Amino acid sequence: MPGGGGKIEHDRDACVGHGRCYVLAPDVFDEDERGHGVLKLASVPAELQDQARAAAENCPEDAISFQPDDAT
Amino acid sequence: MSSHTNNPPEADSDSINFYDPAVAAHPQPVFRRLRDRCPVGKPIPGGAVCLSRYEDVLFALRHPEIFSAVMPAGLIGNVRPLIPLNVDPPEQTKYRKFLDPLFSNKKMLAMEKGVREIASNIVDRFADDDGCEFNTAFAIPYPSTVFLQLMGLPADDLDHFLSLKNAIIRPDAEDPEEQAKIRNESGEKIYAYFNKYLDEIEKSPRDDLLSLFVTAEVGGERMNREEILDICYLFLLGGLDTVTSTLGCMVSYLAQHPDRRQALVDDPALIPSAIEEMLRWETPVIQVVRTVVQDYTIGGVELKKGDPVTLVLGSANTDDEQFPNADEVDFERMPNKHIAFGSGPHRCLGSHLSRLELRVALEEFHRRIPEYTIKPGETPVYSHAIREVTYLPLQFGKGQK
Ligand code: HEM
Ligand code: SF4
Repeated sequence: MPGGGGKIEHDRDACVGHGRCYVLAPDVFDEDERGHGVLKLASVPAELQDQARAAAENCPEDAISFQPDDAT
Repeated sequence: MSSHTNNPPEADSDSINFYDPAVAAHPQPVFRRLRDRCPVGKPIPGGAVCLSRYEDVLFALRHPEIFSAVMPAGLIGNVRPLIPLNVDPPEQTKYRKFLDPLFSNKKMLAMEKGVREIASNIVDRFADDDGCEFNTAFAIPYPSTVFLQLMGLPADDLDHFLSLKNAIIRPDAEDPEEQAKIRNESGEKIYAYFNKYLDEIEKSPRDDLLSLFVTAEVGGERMNREEILDICYLFLLGGLDTVTSTLGCMVSYLAQHPDRRQALVDDPALIPSAIEEMLRWETPVIQVVRTVVQDYTIGGVELKKGDPVTLVLGSANTDDEQFPNADEVDFERMPNKHIAFGSGPHRCLGSHLSRLELRVALEEFHRRIPEYTIKPGETPVYSHAIREVTYLPLQFGKGQK
């Protein structure tokens, strides 16, 4: 059920650079110098919802939270 | 050296002792019993307390102010603590800020061509044979060759390099005192080996990793010789056997599960997520160790300052509370927050390098040898602590090249 987009947050203090986010969600996350994730965008468009969710669910540090907009 | 043809001794089917070499090939059921019966406890009376639930292991890894990674030197022939493994934040962070960019995902991907060439050259040596002993033929030389190149050390040093680390990891002696002696002697040789190159580099820096160690500023000043040696020592002991073991575990698994192997051969795009799942299931680095530095109660068990604690990564990674149907190996498992590379500040520095090495190895091996099984009548032999498949006899199928 493809919903809308959502809001994504990245806790830079908790991130230690596993790199799951920018590998699984390359359109949502970039990689910085140290190999830590960096958000490319603050609000996630509908077509990137799956990527955003994958990043949030696979970060071993629980450094990413994703809140999908209410599906309408 | 253990005899290769011997089957491993029968494991006690009710044991929770995951240290038992007899369970090294299939530790997962032992982890399950351990989590069920004493998630925070001592599987061996008198031994260290083990944490075996995902949640507890993760907590300990992320809280160095309670579970410190600082260790006395000398356990593996080293005369000083290893950097950055035996240093806690904030001191440790200074080293990671310097090292992380050198081992970032981007930097590692930029080496892919060279790594692939190394893998392909090694496969060339045996691709036309009927089979191979995978550990000697591929899993051992591959990561070391990559590593020598990365560090800027001569490829001809391979055998010397391997013998130095082997003497530390598997000293050829039964008696613990004798083992310590071999380790210490080999440790001295390791320091001498790196010292020799570092002397040369100090005179004329080159364009390689070791030269960067000599010239770069870390936390505002250059590292001294001891700091550099303590990093190199850890690289030698942490960056080679781990990849060898992981590759062995993976290829052994695939050799015993033809449908899974075939799935990867048919669709190599599946390899990255299959690697994550095999890292989870096999967790070659079964455990890491910490010392409690402030009294703390976890899972109803009181830990006292100074207590050694073992964090059983292998058990955490097969915990149903975190991984639904944890016993099922699902190459498309999603999500998969395994901690085979640890978690928290000490997250494996080499995780991006390892992922590259593992993917390229499977791609190149399967490209030339799409069909293989365990050689009929033989059994792979696993060692414990780090789960190296010390003997992995493969038979290649259907004569394809
Ligand atoms: C698949 C192969 C590998 C596995 C499974 C693995 C696993 C681990 C684990 C579990 C830790 C955490 C230790 C702890 O928390 O006490 C670690 C740390 C480390 N690994 Fe790896 N490793 C692998 C390959 C490598 C490679 C290729 C390198 C080469 C540079 C490397 C370098 C390190 C270093 C330097 C640390 C210490 C990091 C720190 O303390 O800040 N590892 N590794
Ligand atoms: S997966 Fe998590 S820890 Fe890893 S880089 Fe992304 S945010 Fe950081």
